[in-house]
Amino acid sequence: MATEVKLPRLGQGMESGTIVKWLKSEGEQVQKGDALYELDTDKVTQEVEAEASGVLLKIAVPEGEVEVGRTIAFIGSEGETVADSPVADSAVADSPDGHSAREPAPAVAQKAADVPAAAATNGASQGRVAEVEPGGRIKASPLARRIARERGIELSGVRGTGPDGRIVAEDVERGDAQPATAAPAAVGAPSGEVESRPLTSIRRTIARRLTEAWTVPAFQLTVDADMTRANELVAGQRELNPDVRVTVTDLLTKICAHALMRHRDMNVQYSEDALLVFPSAHVGIAVATPQGLVVPVVHGAERLSMAQIASVRGDLVSRARDGKLRSEDLAGGTFTISNLGMYDVDQFVAVLNPPQASILAVGATRDQVVPRSVGSQREIARDFARPGGELHVLPVMTMTLTCDHRAVDGATGADFLRTIKAFLEDPGLAL
Amino acid sequence: MPELSYREAVRDALSQAMRQDDDVFIMGEDIAEMGGSMGVTHGMLDEFGPERVRNIPISEMALAGAAIGAAVQGMRPVAEIMYEDFMTLAAEQVVNQAAKHRYMSGGQIKVPVVFRTQGGAGWSPGAQHAQQLEAWFVHIPGLKVVFASTPEDVRGLLWSSIYDDNPVVFFEHRTLYGIKGEVPEKIEPIPIGKARVHREGEDVTVIATGRMVHESLAAAVEAEKEGISVEVVDPRTLQPLDEETLVASVKKTNRAVVAHEAVTRMGFGAEVAAVLQYQAFDWLDAPIERVGSRFTPLPFAPIMESYVIPHMETVLEAIYRTVNKKV
Repeated sequence: MATEVKLPRLGQGMESGTIVKWLKSEGEQVQKGDALYELDTDKVTQEVEAEASGVLLKIAVPEGEVEVGRTIAFIGSEGETVADSPVADSAVADSPDGHSAREPAPAVAQKAADVPAAAATNGASQGRVAEVEPGGRIKASPLARRIARERGIELSGVRGTGPDGRIVAEDVERGDAQPATAAPAAVGAPSGEVESRPLTSIRRTIARRLTEAWTVPAFQLTVDADMTRANELVAGQRELNPDVRVTVTDLLTKICAHALMRHRDMNVQYSEDALLVFPSAHVGIAVATPQGLVVPVVHGAERLSMAQIASVRGDLVSRARDGKLRSEDLAGGTFTISNLGMYDVDQFVAVLNPPQASILAVGATRDQVVPRSVGSQREIARDFARPGGELHVLPVMTMTLTCDHRAVDGATGADFLRTIKAFLEDPGLAL
Repeated sequence: MPELSYREAVRDALSQAMRQDDDVFIMGEDIAEMGGSMGVTHGMLDEFGPERVRNIPISEMALAGAAIGAAVQGMRPVAEIMYEDFMTLAAEQVVNQAAKHRYMSGGQIKVPVVFRTQGGAGWSPGAQHAQQLEAWFVHIPGLKVVFASTPEDVRGLLWSSIYDDNPVVFFEHRTLYGIKGEVPEKIEPIPIGKARVHREGEDVTVIATGRMVHESLAAAVEAEKEGISVEVVDPRTLQPLDEETLVASVKKTNRAVVAHEAVTRMGFGAEVAAVLQYQAFDWLDAPIERVGSRFTPLPFAPIMESYVIPHMETVLEAIYRTVNKKV
């Protein structure tokens, strides 16, 4: 009996993946542990290993997006045959004499035909949403059925991830969160001048997560900082560490990590049952890549020197641009910095990166004429002692902090932002 | 709180009941000078004398019949059936007499007798000295059936069994006699028909009896390392069954494993699974898993015996199946 190769769930929340290419061809010998195919998930592209040894009998899904748990290939012994259609294969039991009764029952054939567009337009995604048994009954746990009944969800539209494709409660709840509107008639749509690009999994993830962020009550706080000393420090660090290129983002990462450690109420996440307070500052840095936005994380940034942060950040960014990030690079962030200063943006408002409670949007540093009271804290102190004063031209950077109001109150955020400002204007204070 | 072994806890319940109540006495094979084949009644002859610690000839049927007769006459006898396997010899008296008198007399006759017995494998006793036959007796209306897994439970439940006016078949597990545990200073009777939640969990409920309670608790610790939160419940009383507690637990976790050392086929766990599927049908997210011995007489060879009976790993695998975790 051939072993079915099913699309694995490689991380929490992974629902589907895109097969980029097969590294073995049909008929080839495969050893358990051999790299079998390349899989693009919403986070990373990686090689997936074979879980069985034998001959790669059949590749059911040559490429394209596939739901977790679907059969994508068969590994078995030389000369063994497998059914053409995974739907028929799983729906019809082997007869006792070892020959397979492969003629699908009419109801099954009907169901298979009912599965629309996706199958016709995209051979890779045959759109088997629910495991259908002969007679048209869908396999679902009693709990899954009850939830579906109570919420008015059609089980035929839900993809099962349990044993043999059984729909379990989690599947219904996931399906509930994302109503079955995913049928993209994209490929068949009239092209005209509008170019229709199928959504990549990373694009879908961005859409899903940021839509989720939009449902969170958020507020924004904006502050200016005099960057005179920060710029001096970055320049000094570059001289000290000529082999790593230290940037303002690295200083910001370091400073934000220290500020988070001083304001533990900011290093939090809101969850249904509790407010999670994290012991370490894992600072995510938003990176634009050809594939889309990703946020790799500098873990434990409060314990790293600026040069170490620069080196970690440099590695993450270059791998992000090459699409070589691993799941762990993207996991565990407790705070995010989004810096659009290099694009000459003065200031902007970032959307939360859930489940994190806050994100800092950083603009470009510009020379501005400022009255003294906007200057550094030291200057303010001096000016109070000597009122009157004059105008200054200072390098000023504007930052906007977006906070999840369920987890953080305005005063808490303001206090945190004040610390960041103070650290930037006098980096020695962060020590 | 004092610490007692399971064996001492049984002896303590017997001795305290005999001290406070002349109607309570014990009888069995080799329970007097020898102190019982498992040493449970050790020293009791010296304290209570041969009238109340009665050795009887090797006839389980005579033993059970005499105990029932004494009970009907107003005594509260505790009969020790040396091995659970030998309950088959006493079955006529237990099943056809003890279980029926109260019903057939329209409540005029009470039968306050306890049949203490022990069984359980894991020490290579072979096919005739370690069976777990609780399923035979939970099938009989008119009998109460108790199976305790800790020193505290065995003492409190034996006390309640002695003072229950109905016949109680009281199972002890051979491999648990040596385990120690804290018990209340003063005996606290544990009501018959009340389960005990040993450990609370969120993802799956393991309902276990006897030795399997301890194996399941160990499995729960292992599962926890994999992020699976396991609730472990011991019914303690198999008849009547605390359905309310079991069903409530499964409604919370949506998944269930039923574990006992007796063979799975037609076992006590089958009844529990039936109760759960009926009362918690709409809450189940996975098939109910059953853990028990393979369907064969127990082999003598330790390696074979170990293969036949369930262990911590067997429970753990069942837990993983309920949450669809590949191992």
